[in-house]
Amino acid sequence: MTPLAFCAKLVVKIYQYGISPILPGTCRYTPTCSAYALEAIERYGALKGSRLALGRFLRCHPWGGSGYDPVPDKCDSHSCGCDSKNG
Amino acid sequence: MNDQKNMMLAIVLSVAILFGFQFLFPPAEQPVQEQQTTQEGGVPNAPAGNPSFAPQIPGAEDAAQKAVQTRTEKLDASARIKIESPRLHGSLSVQGGRIDDLTLIDYHEEVSDESPEITLLNPKGLKNAYYAEFGWSAPNVDVPTADTVWATDSQTLKAGGAVNLTWDNGNGLLFKRTISLDDNYVFTVNESVTNTSGEAVNLYPYGLVSRSGTPKTSGFFILHEGLLGVFDGVLEEVDYDDLQEKATKKIDPVQGGWIGITDKYWLAALIPDQSAMVNHRFSHYRTDDGLDKYQTDYLGPQLTAEPGQTVSFKSNLFAGAKELNLLTKYEDEIGVSEFDLAIDFGWFFFITKPFFMALSWLHGHLGNFGLAILALTIGVKLLFFPLANTSYRSMAKMKTLSPKIKELQKKFGDDKQRLNQEMMALYKREKANPASGCLPILLQIPVFFALYKSLFVSIEMRHAPFYGWIHDLSAPDPTSIFNMFGLIPWDPPQMLMIGVWPLLMGISMFLQQRLNPQPTDPMQAKMMMFLPVVFTFMLASFPAGLVIYWVWNNVLSIAQQYVIIKRMEKQK
Repeated sequence: MTPLAFCAKLVVKIYQYGISPILPGTCRYTPTCSAYALEAIERYGALKGSRLALGRFLRCHPWGGSGYDPVPDKCDSHSCGCDSKNG
Repeated sequence: MNDQKNMMLAIVLSVAILFGFQFLFPPAEQPVQEQQTTQEGGVPNAPAGNPSFAPQIPGAEDAAQKAVQTRTEKLDASARIKIESPRLHGSLSVQGGRIDDLTLIDYHEEVSDESPEITLLNPKGLKNAYYAEFGWSAPNVDVPTADTVWATDSQTLKAGGAVNLTWDNGNGLLFKRTISLDDNYVFTVNESVTNTSGEAVNLYPYGLVSRSGTPKTSGFFILHEGLLGVFDGVLEEVDYDDLQEKATKKIDPVQGGWIGITDKYWLAALIPDQSAMVNHRFSHYRTDDGLDKYQTDYLGPQLTAEPGQTVSFKSNLFAGAKELNLLTKYEDEIGVSEFDLAIDFGWFFFITKPFFMALSWLHGHLGNFGLAILALTIGVKLLFFPLANTSYRSMAKMKTLSPKIKELQKKFGDDKQRLNQEMMALYKREKANPASGCLPILLQIPVFFALYKSLFVSIEMRHAPFYGWIHDLSAPDPTSIFNMFGLIPWDPPQMLMIGVWPLLMGISMFLQQRLNPQPTDPMQAKMMMFLPVVFTFMLASFPAGLVIYWVWNNVLSIAQQYVIIKRMEKQK
């Protein structure tokens, strides 16, 4: 794991352990945005992973998609979003 | 696995640093360091346009006298002009014409009105000296100094009135200083020089606020206490310890602006003539016996008094409590912009400030600041109700679905493709349209932080009572479970002062978590059980008003969530 990836994951973990438990809300997707972020960073590194996670985060609102939305197996600029599957 | 361990360690450390540090290790007394070599008073504050002469403001070290007297001794020892005002007690020093003795009538050190008034300004020469001084800087001219004894036309300065101080330098220059006071906390200082000599004289007006000794700050990182000013509309905040390292911080000449020293609730600030180009400066000096002195000052533009002419410069001094409505009133009256930034609204000022006004309005109508907090929290909750409602609704739905999802995971765990399809089908079948999402939830965080911050900073919370045993909403809950809330005659140490309200906070937080779906990550689940305990201990040392806000917020969340879950169950 690169230092950058470590830092990125640290931010997510702090959110998961420190902030998320005191918030009532939850995610529209499974895996949750934070779990998605961790997996994305793990698999695609800090930069690409963070970009994927940010994209997911920005989809996670009342007018966005919902349901099962895993980290994509192959990530190029066109296949990152998985909205189409969720209809 | 090692990664995981490192990660945990890093998290624990970060959280400890974020929350626990200042609580566990209160800022220590400043160690006595090597004396700085910079000669503070010698640092000129050169205005543009006159490179040959650098006018000087008396630096902090000029005040370095042995501090042996008490405040009363010091006050009795010198001639004084008494201040008579509905909001201020105190006096002016005839020697030096300083504003250096001020207490606030409406604010007391303790909750009881019998306790001493808050002392804002102290005379020069004391260990905790804190005063404002004005004057002129001029080359080769006899100007009044800090020791000049002025002639006065009155023994008292009444609110709404003025006193005139005069001094003749014996060489054709007549100095006059008119100090007036309004009904609240603003002094107006009008300085003039009449030139009866045969030559033109160049003078630079200045003003300074000097403070000796580093005051105890409340030490929370979300609040600035120290030196500050607004220059060209930009707020500049300088911490005491930063200035100790830097010694001097000069601001490029700006039109008007203001500069001063602030505590959590009190402020002493200079507001020079807002139409003049002014040099502002922050400085620090440490005396031989290790006393830290901080100074904020301004140096006005060069004024030339031709023979027979009079030049003058007007400035204001705010010395009092940072009441928002007062500060905004002075913005209009004096024409000083961003004066309300003396209150530390923080990054989210655009949310914090409206909260301030709402709190103040509610306080006025409900008569109790605790009730105002509860009412404002309801207001904010209502604002987010539509969002929160959809989120709770879907959470409740997801919760009923989770056994089915687990079943699916067991069944198709190996075949991700199939699992995916089955899950999607399940969501469709159950018409689960989950949560409002993470984005709106995270957008709410700044709002709740701003609410929290406005409570933390608000002066109205100071010494404001609530029901029962809370006599000061800005102080920690005084009870403790470790002496059975006072039944056992024992004073527990600070760490164990876990009051009733912090306990209620922990319980309400625990209950709220029980209504949320359990996280699947076992570590996260463990953290979730642990967190209410951590927060109970942490919040025990926080102002009671904040804890009450937190409890109330949790209670409202729980109620909302509970109703939705019950409704969902009925529909089935």
